Amino acid sequence: MDLIKSIAVAASGLRSQSGRMRVIAENIANADSGPERAGTDPYRRKVVSFQRHVDRDLDAQLVALGRVQRDPSAFRTKHEPGNLAADANGDVKMPNVNALVEMVDMREAQRSYEANLNLISSTRRMIQRTIDILRA
Amino acid sequence: MANDGSIGGGLMQALKLRMHYQQSRQKVLAENVANADSPGFRPFDLKPPGFDRESGVALARTSAGHMSLAGARGGFDSTGAPRFETTPNGNAVNLEDEMLKVAQNQSDYQLAASLYSKGLALMKIAIGKNG
Repeated sequence: MDLIKSIAVAASGLRSQSGRMRVIAENIANADSGPERAGTDPYRRKVVSFQRHVDRDLDAQLVALGRVQRDPSAFRTKHEPGNLAADANGDVKMPNVNALVEMVDMREAQRSYEANLNLISSTRRMIQRTIDILRA
Repeated sequence: MANDGSIGGGLMQALKLRMHYQQSRQKVLAENVANADSPGFRPFDLKPPGFDRESGVALARTSAGHMSLAGARGGFDSTGAPRFETTPNGNAVNLEDEMLKVAQNQSDYQLAASLYSKGLALMKIAIGKNG
């Protein structure tokens, strides 16, 4: 039945959006995770990618999280001579996490999540209507 | 009434087809929404079943090259939905547009389902069960 498949497809959307949320949360939590020693790298921001794949059982295009990759952009530097991880100039490499970018990404994930939820409740109403035919 | 064996002059048949169409469309819309962030994804939509006077609801012909089938019934054609924005990663899903379609699809389905119940009630009247 196609309505059940709709719910399964939307559920795959929910799963990948919440996975994306998890990665964003990791990024925000580690926004200040500096290097342990001088010369080592701090936390590098993670980026999720989405992959669609055809589920042959459902005959539908589901979505799944692809590989979580590292953002290759440059690290921030902070002048802090007292830090143990500071280099000769007194600079400390800080993670390349930008709180604003993460917030925007989080909002987008939230919006997509809500859209999938909405679809599930709409599909459920349609199923309920189908059952109501039997009751009438 | 002359028809192809279906009760109610093809009414129930047409409603059944309509509801089948809405169910399939809901699945297609679910795929669009789930893939709202997949790179390179293009949204799909289903073309509504066409209606012509001789055969009732029949297979829609979307291209001049398609063969016309005399007895063709049902069947849907997934055509590319119109799109007006494509993100840099090639995704062309517009979430607002899809939600609008989902809401519309749901209310259309409810309409068809209500009409179907009414059709059943009519049949009950016809067989004298005090509908």
